[in-house]
Amino acid sequence: MRKILRYTLVALLTLSCVSVSAQSEPAKGGIINVAMIGEPPTLDPMVSTADLVGTITQHIFETLYTFNGKSQVIPLLANAMPTLSDDGKTYVIPLRHGVTFHNGQPMTAKDVLASLQRWEKISSRGRQTAEKITELSAPDDYTIKIVLNQPYAPMLALLSLNNSAAVIMPEAQTTESPLTTFIGTGPYQLKSHQPDRFIQLVRFVGYHNLEGAPDGYGGARKQYLDEIRFVPVTDPNTRVEGAISGQFEYVDSLPVESFNKIQGGKDKPVLLKPYGWPVFVMNTKQGVASNILIRKAIQAALAPQDMMTAAFGSPEFFTLDGAMYPKGNIWHTEEDTSLYRSMGDTAKAQQLLKQANYQGQPLRILTSRQYEFHYKLAQVAQAYLEAAGFKVQLDVQEWASLTQNRANPARWDMYISHSPFLPEPSLTGIMSDTSPGWWSTDKKHAALQAFNSETDPQKRIALWANVQKAIYEDVPMFKVGNFNALAAQSPRLQGVTPAPWPYFWNAYLTQ
Amino acid sequence: MIRSTLHRLFGMAVVMAIVISLVFLIVHITPGDPAAVMLGPDATGADIAALRDQMGLNAPLWQQFFHYIIGVLHGDLGRSIFLNIPVTEALWQRAEPTFFLTLMALLVATLIALPVGILSAYYRGSWFDQIATSVAMLSASIPSFWLGLLFIQFFAVKLGWFDTSGYGGPTATFGERMNHLLLPALSLGAVCSALIMRFTRASMLDVLNDDYVRTARAKGMSEYRVVVKHAFKNALIPVVTVIGLTAALLISGAIVTETVFGIPGVGSLTVSAVLRRDYPVIQGTLLVISGLYVLMNFAVDMLYLWIDPRVRY
Repeated sequence: MRKILRYTLVALLTLSCVSVSAQSEPAKGGIINVAMIGEPPTLDPMVSTADLVGTITQHIFETLYTFNGKSQVIPLLANAMPTLSDDGKTYVIPLRHGVTFHNGQPMTAKDVLASLQRWEKISSRGRQTAEKITELSAPDDYTIKIVLNQPYAPMLALLSLNNSAAVIMPEAQTTESPLTTFIGTGPYQLKSHQPDRFIQLVRFVGYHNLEGAPDGYGGARKQYLDEIRFVPVTDPNTRVEGAISGQFEYVDSLPVESFNKIQGGKDKPVLLKPYGWPVFVMNTKQGVASNILIRKAIQAALAPQDMMTAAFGSPEFFTLDGAMYPKGNIWHTEEDTSLYRSMGDTAKAQQLLKQANYQGQPLRILTSRQYEFHYKLAQVAQAYLEAAGFKVQLDVQEWASLTQNRANPARWDMYISHSPFLPEPSLTGIMSDTSPGWWSTDKKHAALQAFNSETDPQKRIALWANVQKAIYEDVPMFKVGNFNALAAQSPRLQGVTPAPWPYFWNAYLTQ
Repeated sequence: MIRSTLHRLFGMAVVMAIVISLVFLIVHITPGDPAAVMLGPDATGADIAALRDQMGLNAPLWQQFFHYIIGVLHGDLGRSIFLNIPVTEALWQRAEPTFFLTLMALLVATLIALPVGILSAYYRGSWFDQIATSVAMLSASIPSFWLGLLFIQFFAVKLGWFDTSGYGGPTATFGERMNHLLLPALSLGAVCSALIMRFTRASMLDVLNDDYVRTARAKGMSEYRVVVKHAFKNALIPVVTVIGLTAALLISGAIVTETVFGIPGVGSLTVSAVLRRDYPVIQGTLLVISGLYVLMNFAVDMLYLWIDPRVRY
């Protein structure tokens, strides 16, 4: 009798353990369809800085480092954080053992070296970094050594980003440009790609996962789903209807005004709060805005509250914030944000215009309707600038024309763009002297040089305040505020963490 | 007959030569840069210039035009900058959805327009005629993308009969793919039916008062035979013209419909090529669409000769 009781107890305990583990570990399987804003221009993440390219290809390719939930750099294909020499110029990066590519070939330092050399040649971020690299070598099969000509703190962030990305691919593939094979080490591999129809990714069976818990883009990358299909749905209204009908398990980039409509549908709205910041970049090189007094007059004239309300509607979808990074982010600082006024200061703008001896030259604002909020921001800005005494010329162009024209300083005075909050501030466009806007002053160089040379993360946070101060004093741009991004997700789809570049490892389907 | 056919063919060649030159010029004059699109928003001017050089876009325009013309004469429309495949291959891959969408939309348009047009003319001035004419006016004024969105809301979202967009997944069968075309074909066909209906009505009104129709009736022929066998056959010439032109219009009209419904056809290929400035693809698709338009016109002209042997060019 005792024996039976003991066996029964053991059986019950085993059953309860099985059921507990079944509850804690989601079941594998299932296919998800993810509606994206369009067809990516390329599947080579080194070539493009486009978010769409990074979002899709981060499932296929991996970088040496990535960002955790707090936007800090953590190892991914690297085995640990690098050893940094005392002078801050030499990085020794240990690589993980046992990582294989989708073709079954093991990853070694040879592949990493060839990939980083390709990145230096063909990636815009890589080319900028190459100017600072004096030696790139592989001392042994599992070590990479990078020697810089000066300390450069953004180095690790550059090795972590998923666009214009330093992804690792087999050495043989690195000679391809453009890429024709897409073999990486990521949790999902490319099975089939029919342009404008779908990009089909399937689980990579030989994936060598990191131990521990998922942490932002890093940590363990669980492969619950069998397949991820990225489907281009160019028309935003069709994406909204797709979310309402439940055709897709995830729908990216929806117009915020469709929030209430989506709430009544099969997929449920997901807000990424905050997602990014719209910006008016000023031409500091040529034309009317090259005069700092004019730029200061623009800064005084603009009224972010009305602009953001016109662009995003309800305050639920935006916040008025002059800081370059939102509250809660490690880079947040209020330095000089007193110059950001929610309703502008027309009198001060008029006074500055008088000081600048403004003669009524047209202020040419380059914008597009590719992103409807850009256009709405421009319309309200036009009204406020005209009230201050500016003569405004709104040049509405389609996006491809705008991206070409903004490279020519003779064609514009301000252009409108937006950006997500990048984990490393110095990667923001205007930090480069050659980026359209061409902000290049001694004040900027001094602040940025000190910020980029400092490798101590805590000291860098304090130094960032000086860069933000330089932005407010030189006015190379006007940050309008913070805005939220809207996506939709099926209630069946779990494990997706809202992120600027959504990822679907760790995601799973419930019954 | 042979002389007039040769005359038409020569005219077609001239039109195509003009189209090729114009398309090349317009595409290259329009602002926008495939290198800037490829590299993304944070690329520097130097990066863009380097990639343009690699793509051969910094060569003089006349040189690029010369190479393009030589290629076209050899049946080579170039290579897509973004898809990295020959343009002919890209077009071939997209031919299926566009061909069947056009065919189905034409079928929808004709099936709606011909009976309604005939009945409308026969019952001229009646409530049926007035409703049909008003609906036709309304359809002609509705943009196909708007009707498409309405259809998506009603048939796909409310009734759940169709997917809102797409052309099926990797394992979709031919039947499933065709199912994805039903809704776009319905919206495209409904818009185009208005024109055919109005032409059918007008043409029928012309012939219904002719002497031979009165004679046929006097001979005691049934109304069905009088209207369908005698009157409609003679009213057919302008109707065939407009159906032919509609077919050509549908190929280009599919551009908007394919974009709204996410159909990976020639239309959406054209739109994405224009947005990315994929010059070879824009030139290739416009060349093919123009060629089809010209061919369709030629086919209609030839049909005239067959329908009415009295026609001379």
